[in-house]
Amino acid sequence: MRTFMQFLLFMVLAIAVIVLAILLGDMGAWYFAWLVGTAMIVLIAAAGGVLLDTQDEHAAARRAAASADAR
Amino acid sequence: MHDIHVVDLSRLQFALTALYHYLFVPLTLGMSFLLAAMETVYVTTGREIYKKITQFWSKLFLINFALGVATGLTMEFEFGTNWSFYSSFVGDIFGAPLAIEGLMAFFMESTFVGLMVFGWGRLRRGQHLAVTYLVALGSNLSALWILIANSFMQAPTGAHFNPVTMRMELTSLSDLIFSHDAQAKFVHTSIAGYVTAAIFVAGVSAWYLLKNRHTELARRSFRMAVLFGALATVGVITLGDALGFVGAQAQPTKLAAMEGLWKTEPAPMPFNLVAFPSQQEHVNRGAIQVPYVLSLLVTHSLTGSVPGFDQLEQQATARIRDGIPAVAALQTLSAKPNDADALAQFQAHEKDLGYGFLLQRYAPDVTAATDAEVADAARDAIPQVAPVFWSFRVMVVLGLAMLAYFVMAVIYTMRNRVERKRWFLKLAVWMIPVPFLANEAGWLVAELGRQPWTVYGMLPTWMSASTHSVGYMAFSLIGFVTLYTVFIAIEMYLMVRTIRRGPDDDHAGVIPHDRLHADRLAGYAEG
Amino acid sequence: METYAALQVLWWLLLGVLLSGLAVMVGMDMGVGTILRYVGRNDGERRVALNIIGPHWDGNQVWFILGGGAVFAAFPLIYATAFSGFYVVMLLLLWSMILRPLGFEYRSKLPSAGWRNAWDWALFVSGLVPMVVFGAAIGNLFHGVPFQFSWNLTSTYTGSFLGLLNPFAILCGLLSASLSVFMGAAMVMNGAKDAIFERARTLARIGAALAIVLFAIGGFWVHGMGGYVLTAGPGAGVPQTPLQQSVALADGAWLANFDAHPALWLLPAAGFAGMLLGLLAASARRSHLAWWLGALGWLGVIGTAGVALFPFLLPSSSVPAQSLTVWNASSSQHTLLWMSGFAAVFVPLVLWYTSWAFYVMRGKLDVADVVADEHAY
Repeated sequence: MRTFMQFLLFMVLAIAVIVLAILLGDMGAWYFAWLVGTAMIVLIAAAGGVLLDTQDEHAAARRAAASADAR
Repeated sequence: MHDIHVVDLSRLQFALTALYHYLFVPLTLGMSFLLAAMETVYVTTGREIYKKITQFWSKLFLINFALGVATGLTMEFEFGTNWSFYSSFVGDIFGAPLAIEGLMAFFMESTFVGLMVFGWGRLRRGQHLAVTYLVALGSNLSALWILIANSFMQAPTGAHFNPVTMRMELTSLSDLIFSHDAQAKFVHTSIAGYVTAAIFVAGVSAWYLLKNRHTELARRSFRMAVLFGALATVGVITLGDALGFVGAQAQPTKLAAMEGLWKTEPAPMPFNLVAFPSQQEHVNRGAIQVPYVLSLLVTHSLTGSVPGFDQLEQQATARIRDGIPAVAALQTLSAKPNDADALAQFQAHEKDLGYGFLLQRYAPDVTAATDAEVADAARDAIPQVAPVFWSFRVMVVLGLAMLAYFVMAVIYTMRNRVERKRWFLKLAVWMIPVPFLANEAGWLVAELGRQPWTVYGMLPTWMSASTHSVGYMAFSLIGFVTLYTVFIAIEMYLMVRTIRRGPDDDHAGVIPHDRLHADRLAGYAEG
Repeated sequence: METYAALQVLWWLLLGVLLSGLAVMVGMDMGVGTILRYVGRNDGERRVALNIIGPHWDGNQVWFILGGGAVFAAFPLIYATAFSGFYVVMLLLLWSMILRPLGFEYRSKLPSAGWRNAWDWALFVSGLVPMVVFGAAIGNLFHGVPFQFSWNLTSTYTGSFLGLLNPFAILCGLLSASLSVFMGAAMVMNGAKDAIFERARTLARIGAALAIVLFAIGGFWVHGMGGYVLTAGPGAGVPQTPLQQSVALADGAWLANFDAHPALWLLPAAGFAGMLLGLLAASARRSHLAWWLGALGWLGVIGTAGVALFPFLLPSSSVPAQSLTVWNASSSQHTLLWMSGFAAVFVPLVLWYTSWAFYVMRGKLDVADVVADEHAY
């Protein structure tokens, strides 16, 4: 039941977003672009931070493996 | 009648206070979303370092934010105090976006910024993240409404002049909100703020990397800021082009000033890379031109052409002559609101009312205007070319320089070795003032290029100002310059101090209790 | 025409609501600024007082911005004429107000006693001066202000700066400052304990007592004062300029609305009741109750002034026929309608999240809390 209610809620939200996006895309294409673009810029910046942590871990693992090989 | 010195001083004061306010706004617009991105990483990965990163940058955000809020108050006052005719003439349209800005955006930004600062210990992580996003959304929505209002000055739409109330009145709010100028200008300005914040954060991070301090914080901040800024810069340039395209139609005189176009030329038109415009002689003294490029830039085709000042001045002359009966009829209507003949005459010439006002500066009784006075007014229809021309070039060159910098920065940071490129880190520190300069130059292009109008084609600047004395203007100018100079000195000092002390400093500091009770402090309170 | 007249009255009422919001919320913060140096005898105690409103001053200040924006949008001629006419006063108001965000944000950033002391004085000035100016501006409306319009509605102010500092205006300024001290003190009582609480309680009682006395004197003063009467004009709901009406002066005219509609006496009664009961509540240490009663007092005071002046908003003392009224200074029907729509959606939303912010930050502070929190002001 709880899952179903959540499903309903999110479906309603999704449809509202679609309707709003269609309207906004029609009347104010640049505004719509700003909305989508800002979300994208924020998320890519966030992903860049996460990627840096992953890169660090990989580098550390590689160093550890290299030093293990050397021994 | 208006004293022209008072008009000039009012313009100077508005420009100074607006340019000053605009030093702080872009950083707020961008930093708020950058903070949201940082906190997003904290909430999704749970790594404590990102909490520290968010909190550190939010300290700098707040130092800047306070001055942005304070100087924003000035802007809210200044339309009424110094541009009272403007305010009553277009208040019906211009006031609404400002009021909606307060109601919809500024309340949101300001209420949640309090929770953003004080709510760390009281809100759940997800709640605090939501609050940070609301601050970012609020500050940018705030810019949206302000720029909608501004775009009415640039490309008036959704309004008409009502001779019964003697002012412009709103006819369509949606035309106003969705005007192409408002759209392009908002996106251009908002993401120019993102670029500003990105360069600031990247620059400060680079300084830490150079000093080998707080490297874990600095590397992550640098990476995030650079990605944020690179994408935003691409957007700013795209929207800059769109804005030029919109502006070419809406404000031909601004475009001609930006490009130094004295003479209308057949397509394809060359682009003045460098030129030295002379307002007196209506020519460029020496110019380096690139063939074809101007047509491509402003019309996106090789066959498009735009009018130069020779044509624009002719058009203005015709419209000024057509505006004479409009002003005369309006004067009659003011005394006799029911005069049907005057109303008919007004309606026939309504579209050139603003040009009639332009002439009134030289001929208070427009019906008696001489040809020389009409010619003076027509010459006024052209903005001062050189400042617009050069501001535009400064903005574009700095924009392209920032693009190049960000592309390089993305390459280095994605290879995860920017710490070793010391020359690049030094460059990053030196880049910090660049976006601020570009922002100010952009403001100058937009607002100097709009002259001689406050509302393009409708209301001349000379009529818009309040009827103050020069003494009043001197008083307020001295007051603003003094206060603002002190403020910026304090702000810069606190910014630099906070950066030097870094993220581990307890910024509030505590005055030791023995000093708390020092006689000096207690003495004041007892008295 | 009826719709337009109804919208004009609605926006006159909303203006009252927004001005009351400004007076209550901003006035409270400014009151804290005014009493800061007395309720806090040392740096730690002052930081407690500051941090009680710390999370809220910024949001509250928007009531001020919105007040200005709403006058601009709904009554552009008032915004244009009053702001330019009161030029020097407006600048003093502005300059003292822009010290405030910096005072909050910068004061505790340096561990220097001199620095903090200077900002405490700045907060005092930016608390007291704007509230006095706010009240004095309303007070000047009763006498009328010397301004006139040209054929195209360019306004010219012909008075002097000192003319705005007449005795009645000063009385109104002091009334507004007293009420702000009361509200600020009640807010400090809400969030502080022990010594700070007790000092705030003393100030709340002084503020309320002064306000009651000043409001009563003001009432008698207005009773004998010459007021303005709109004798002829296009009337409500008709688009017009201020050049088409006639206005007469008559003694005691400001009480005409009360005589015509005795139910309106409830407004000054609410003002007195709010302040008097607020005084009692503060004495009984019921600070939350005192705060709400103070808000009622403000509503009564502002309502009384508004109703007395109605339909005038800004009478002209030099050319009374060009006085600005609700009918000739308002925006067009179209604008008022849109603004009403936005207000209907966003005012409740703002009240909702403001309440939530106060709920999140509820509770009492002491010096140890402030010192421990590195985000505190």
